[in-house]
Amino acid sequence: MKKKILSLLLAGTMIVSLTACGGGSSSDTEAANESAQESVTAEDGAADAGTDAAVPVELTVTTTFAGEDGNAQNFKDAVAAWEAETGNTVADTSATSDETFKTRVVTDFETGSEPDVLFFFNGADANSFIEAGKVVSIDEIRAEYPEYAANMNDDLIADSLVDGKKYAVPVNGYWEAMFVNMEVLDAAGVALPGADYTMDQFKADCEKIKAAGYAPIAAALGNIPHYWWEFAIFNNQSPADHLEIPASASDANGQAWVAGMNDIKELYELGYFPENTLSATDDETFAMFTEGKAAFLIDGSWKVGGIVSACQSDPEDPATLDTEKLSHFEVTYVPSKGGERKATDLVGGLSMGYYITKKAWDDPDKRAAAVSFVEYMTSDELVPVFAQHTASALKAAPEVDESQFNELQVKAMNMMAGVTSLTGAVQDLFQGDCRVPTFDGMPEIVTGKVDAADAVAEGLDIYNNQ
Amino acid sequence: MSSNIYRDKKPVVVFLIPAFLFMVVYLYYPFFRNIINSFRQIKQLGSSGTGWNSPWYTNYVEMLYDDIVWVSLKNTLIMMVVTIVGQVGIAVVLALMVDNIGRGKQFYKTVFFFPIVISATALGLLFNLIFLYDKGMINQILESLGKTTLTDWKAEGIALVTMMLPVMWQYVGFYFVILVTGLNNIPDELYEAARIDGAGTWQKVRYISVPLLHNVICTCCVLAVTGALKVFDLPWVMFPKGMPLKTTFLTGTYMYYHTTQTKNVDYGSALAVLIVVLGIVLSKVVNWIFKEKDY
Repeated sequence: MKKKILSLLLAGTMIVSLTACGGGSSSDTEAANESAQESVTAEDGAADAGTDAAVPVELTVTTTFAGEDGNAQNFKDAVAAWEAETGNTVADTSATSDETFKTRVVTDFETGSEPDVLFFFNGADANSFIEAGKVVSIDEIRAEYPEYAANMNDDLIADSLVDGKKYAVPVNGYWEAMFVNMEVLDAAGVALPGADYTMDQFKADCEKIKAAGYAPIAAALGNIPHYWWEFAIFNNQSPADHLEIPASASDANGQAWVAGMNDIKELYELGYFPENTLSATDDETFAMFTEGKAAFLIDGSWKVGGIVSACQSDPEDPATLDTEKLSHFEVTYVPSKGGERKATDLVGGLSMGYYITKKAWDDPDKRAAAVSFVEYMTSDELVPVFAQHTASALKAAPEVDESQFNELQVKAMNMMAGVTSLTGAVQDLFQGDCRVPTFDGMPEIVTGKVDAADAVAEGLDIYNNQ
Repeated sequence: MSSNIYRDKKPVVVFLIPAFLFMVVYLYYPFFRNIINSFRQIKQLGSSGTGWNSPWYTNYVEMLYDDIVWVSLKNTLIMMVVTIVGQVGIAVVLALMVDNIGRGKQFYKTVFFFPIVISATALGLLFNLIFLYDKGMINQILESLGKTTLTDWKAEGIALVTMMLPVMWQYVGFYFVILVTGLNNIPDELYEAARIDGAGTWQKVRYISVPLLHNVICTCCVLAVTGALKVFDLPWVMFPKGMPLKTTFLTGTYMYYHTTQTKNVDYGSALAVLIVVLGIVLSKVVNWIFKEKDY
């Protein structure tokens, strides 16, 4: 009998403890909701986000300022400064910007574990959580905080593809261009490409570089073909129609896409990509570029930080920068095919920005802190630090002090000065499994296992059925 | 008194309930939910989808015509053979050799078991460096021996071997430890009697160790085959997205690829159902083939 009572007590304790866990969270939620209503009422009329945060709170923040991103350290410094100024703390879950990061963020929203503030893409990637009403529009925030993003030029803030509203406050823009390792070019007797660089000149240069024993193009077609995909298509279009997704592979734009894929195939067949381009990762081909084994790298403005890190004996310590090694790197324009796109027409824009989630907005303890955080990160003082050689949306952008930048950043600013147009990336609008036939299928296209026209048609079919 | 403890089953049932509930919440519910998901249109992880596929069994039909499914099934079957021959086979040889040495048994046990305690992800990164095209360990060794060109160990023809070698190597120690324990359970008297009868080392192995190890080897084979179905992390770290040319996909990595990379979650769910069905069928077949003997 004693054993029965004991066993029942033990089992009962377990069940009660399990129930208590669930019940506790439920009652906590109710209490939080009640508290939220009370606090919102108390805060009505409070418009100064900086002074609202009476009780220090912890904000969860996700950005792409991590890893090799050139602004990773700037972000850490800015967060530390904001924490010191407000007494709030930040739980930073930033990660390198890639498909895994995008999936993680979108999944966090789906499962209700989104951060309070996020720095994320403003294109089709954000559609799912905007459709679900899980982020707050800038206009809604301005209704309570009129000064929110008041320093930004609204015309430069991207409209959501879902409802046309503006949600993300931009900080720094991006550009995609061609990095060059001059050590390789010098060894092959090739001059630095200029603003009128054509595809024919590019192929001639690649031939010389290949003959000298180097890989002309650093790209992992089996891993990250994105940049070549974008420019190969762009080369067969004009800046005016680059962002139009074709209705089918047979219309004019569709034909441009097919021609772009075939252009990459031609470069592959000519042997201009590394021998292991189908089995290498992007990190491997990037290492080939920085170590002087490959000549050209098409990539984004964020790669400036990666190249600088590769020139430091300690990637974490800027003081260890080898300026001599860095001086071998240049950044220039992407060769044109001689059509409507000029070499100086690049891909770029303001594709990301700070969102405040509905979860944080509805939390009376976090609302003011979240607004304060975004206002701090998008202030006139901090935006130029992050934007550097890229565009910003500031109404009154201050003069850039070049002395604080390294040599590659200065070269990037000079290159940007010659840009004739910046067009967004069409792949930001062409999201999901529609990309698979031409992104993940790039190895099959360049090896001739799949016809480029079939791959483009398959991707467009999926896109049109989404 | 002792028999009374086991006569009344109610306390046992009560104690089983929490574990049962845990299984229901974290295993059975997700499993049945996954079956439902495989019939729906789901583009985001965590979402319940936007509707039903039309027809509802679309994903299962698509699977039949998806060449990569057949590639991943073929690779998974090869992986099973590799695990039986490479893992259990090598482990048997190593166990018999270690059992026949006088000193240093513990040393070898520790050395062979060591790879098990390292995470598969870390091992994947380690072997990535070993097989790296430029400045990888193997290519550097070959270069020092006079080879003038680099070998791409992840190229189409050889990628599968490069992927399976580390997987095989990692789990040899696991089966080795099980087999050594099995050998320790064979009574010394049998070996002593054989020695008195004039049996040599090979004869003792052939007529005593191997026959008495039969059931342990069968258990190892069942574990190896079912384990091969679950191999995921090391191949994914070394060959993401089935690189090169989608030739290195296993059923697990292909399911993960669709679920997280192509945002075709419902197709990933259908592949997960296929993996479960395959697991049940294969475990039955393997249990039937490697039937244990009664002594």
